Amino acid sequence: MILTPKIVARLIVVGILGVLLQLTFFSQVELFHVSPDVLPALVVCLGLLGGTMTGAVSGFAIGFLLDCLLIQPLGGASLVLIAVGYAAGMFRERFEIHSRLVVPLLCALLTLAAELGFGAIEAMFGIDTDVSILVLRDILIQSAFAFFLGWGIYAGLRRLVRPALVDEATVRRTRRPTVLGA
Amino acid sequence: MYRRQVRRRRAVLTLLIVGSFALLTLTYGQGSNGLQRGVTAVFAPVSSVLDRALKPARDLINWVDETFDARGKNHKLEEELEVARKQAVGGKVALAENEELRQLLKLDKSGAIPSGYEPVTGRVIGLSPTVWFSDVMIDVGSSDGVKLHDPVVNGDGLVGQVTAMTGGVSKVTLISDHSSAVSVKVVPAGIQGIVKPTVGEPDTLVLNFLNSDKNVHKGQSVVTAGWRGEEIESRFPPNIPVGEVTKASLIMQEAQEKVNVRPYADLRNLGTVQVLTGGSRK
Repeated sequence: MILTPKIVARLIVVGILGVLLQLTFFSQVELFHVSPDVLPALVVCLGLLGGTMTGAVSGFAIGFLLDCLLIQPLGGASLVLIAVGYAAGMFRERFEIHSRLVVPLLCALLTLAAELGFGAIEAMFGIDTDVSILVLRDILIQSAFAFFLGWGIYAGLRRLVRPALVDEATVRRTRRPTVLGA
Repeated sequence: MYRRQVRRRRAVLTLLIVGSFALLTLTYGQGSNGLQRGVTAVFAPVSSVLDRALKPARDLINWVDETFDARGKNHKLEEELEVARKQAVGGKVALAENEELRQLLKLDKSGAIPSGYEPVTGRVIGLSPTVWFSDVMIDVGSSDGVKLHDPVVNGDGLVGQVTAMTGGVSKVTLISDHSSAVSVKVVPAGIQGIVKPTVGEPDTLVLNFLNSDKNVHKGQSVVTAGWRGEEIESRFPPNIPVGEVTKASLIMQEAQEKVNVRPYADLRNLGTVQVLTGGSRK
């Protein structure tokens, strides 16, 4: 991704909107008794479109804003989302995305990892009560939500940052001109 | 060129990770800092507007979820209805007992607000997204008279307590959060204990007894104990309804000294809550 000031501004708006929508909408709706967590999927999509640097920096920024708005210790969410963004970016830099299933699958897998990561951070500071096995069910359902949401988020983001995508620019340059009347 | 890129990438990643750990170390255990107060002050009005605007969409999705849930429960409810019919006569006695208990507890039917406390009404404007925390953000803060550790209730019972706040926003840690522990008593038995949650099951609290010479029965009410010592007293005033005993087998009580409690407040669907400010807490 070629990061021009305009594209950076768009990414900042996307990050802020993502966090606000998560807190005011997605966290307050329930399907199968579980609320979707779109933020790991959003960071994964940013990492897949922009690479490791974009993924890690957006993960840090989104996590930081989330911690600020939830008035909780700063850095916890950032740490988890940096790892998620970097992993997604690394995937993009090492492998070609051939199948349409790759993006949603990555969103689901990395959401699973992120939720376990949030749990690990909490465990690091101490969980004084019993942990039900049902928490695993909730995490798996959240990953399933991320699978479906990831599809839409990736498509929307791709459209939003299309002018900055290197692949898209290459495709445009190499496309043969259409000869009218031929 | 490529090596330089890789080095730069690693340097930024290291910086971000070190920065996160530094922030975590510096801010862990603090209520809120200047930065968070500034950010919430900027985003709280936007959150509030978004919250109101998205309410119809949220209600629609939650309605779909509840419909699925209701279909699943239909068969079970039919069986329960059969049993309930047989217990109708006994129910009348229970109703009388319930009324007696209400008199005993002197509960305000609308909100269970103890005397000496000034309720400040707030609306939920944000929820924690992960399954590990049970925190909600409400649109009242220190400028509305809210103080740290003020109890929070809704029309059904105890919801949680304020654990951090800024001028216009407070964080309420729910009684289903893993860091929560509430001293309670079972009425009318009078058995005292501490209610703690189970992570992953917000509808199930665990009541650990402090004294177990009497037995607890399914259906009994659990209210805050509101103990008071010479120097300190409980963060929660007495007699706020907390929940109902749902599982109280003799084995659980005798071997583990605990029973299961279902909170009265629907902690998954909180809309408007009341912060009990003031009071005489030391």
